[in-house]
Amino acid sequence: MSASAIEFQDIHKRFGLAFSLGPLTLTVPRGSIYALIGPNGAGKSTALNMLMGMGEPARGSIKVLDRDIRHDEVDIKRRTAYVSPDMDYRAWGTVGRAIDFVRGFYADWDAARCEELQFAFDVHRDVRVDALSFGGRMKLALVLALSRDAELLVLDEPTLGLDAIARRQLFTELLKFMTRDGRTILISSHQLADLERFADHAAIVNQGKLLTSGRMDKLVERYRQFDARVLRDTPLGVPGVSVIDRQGDRVRLLVDGDVVSASPLEMPQIEVLAQVPFTLEELFLALITSANGRSGWWPHMSAA
Amino acid sequence: MTDAPTNLHLGPLSPASGPLYQQIVDGIKREVLADRLTAGSALPSYRVLAERLLVSLITVKRAYEELEREGITFSRQGLGTFVAARGNDRTRADRRATARSALRSATHAARQAGVTDRELIQMLRDELKSQPAESNHEPIRGSAP
Repeated sequence: MSASAIEFQDIHKRFGLAFSLGPLTLTVPRGSIYALIGPNGAGKSTALNMLMGMGEPARGSIKVLDRDIRHDEVDIKRRTAYVSPDMDYRAWGTVGRAIDFVRGFYADWDAARCEELQFAFDVHRDVRVDALSFGGRMKLALVLALSRDAELLVLDEPTLGLDAIARRQLFTELLKFMTRDGRTILISSHQLADLERFADHAAIVNQGKLLTSGRMDKLVERYRQFDARVLRDTPLGVPGVSVIDRQGDRVRLLVDGDVVSASPLEMPQIEVLAQVPFTLEELFLALITSANGRSGWWPHMSAA
Repeated sequence: MTDAPTNLHLGPLSPASGPLYQQIVDGIKREVLADRLTAGSALPSYRVLAERLLVSLITVKRAYEELEREGITFSRQGLGTFVAARGNDRTRADRRATARSALRSATHAARQAGVTDRELIQMLRDELKSQPAESNHEPIRGSAP
């Protein structure tokens, strides 16, 4: 058993001219909750779908639980539970019939656990699936996935449609899942405050490419943001430093601690006023802004 | 894996109260100082505490590493993490150092503000009066200088 649960190795996939995924190389360590973060259309779902045999990369390889997705799809699916907002159980009529249908497929189904989960997520057997709200259907999908004793959970936006209470319940259940040895969760979500609290590692993707990845706490500490006053209006052009906002002579800078070690930040063009602590959400916004803009240069702002 | 019999009381953690790992470190130190966690007692495993406090495994791991680095706890491969024999003393010494450092900066701030020594001592007396000492502490005696 290797130390990684999932390995994306230099994968590429192109969808027409508008979108391409890759090159993407990403390793999800076994025994961790791994957050996949990115704006809408970044390629998160495309990458997760590939794990479950929906779409193959044009180039590169993917290993899940030490198996190659091209050759061992059945074994991978036997050991992996998957949730996505696209799952549709309406054809089974009621919640109870959907549960009874799905459980027959899996040798690792835990009936007692399923009862607990129905209670925890407030999911009732006699309710019609088509009468459920979007969040209600998501809860059903989560009950079905978590009732299995899978080694790997792949969750594509499982927080979609969930209220704050259900979201908290979801993360409680995920941590309970992790109390069993050697379990791994790969989760994509836009609930960054939740991910910052519950996930061990994170990868941020943008336009099909990896922007950064690492241990959650190290990631948030690696980047720093400074508020500064512009002294000289010459472009920065310093590697590892980018301007994420400017208003008049005030700028907010994103600094990558792996590139720029100087602390506090010293540059002739600016006077640093304050260092502002990062949350994951702010880091995400800063990285995406910086990646999509002219990083390192004063952006041309129209007069306020 | 043996689950810790320890009845560890750490309140719900909120990101609004600072780094979560630090809250775990502070909480465990508080328990050690109050003798609710005694030398040799086992801390819960990473996974169990993470589930109980609703935080990532990494957060608990980091808190445990910090406690071990400070000599409050020690770990045994495959057995878990335990309160160190002198963990209580270290926590107390650590707390005294924190108090001393807070007094130092309070003194500095007072001097900067032009507060006289006499006024500063009166301020401290007022503070002591507003936060009555617990019974095991010696009450303050004597008159103002």
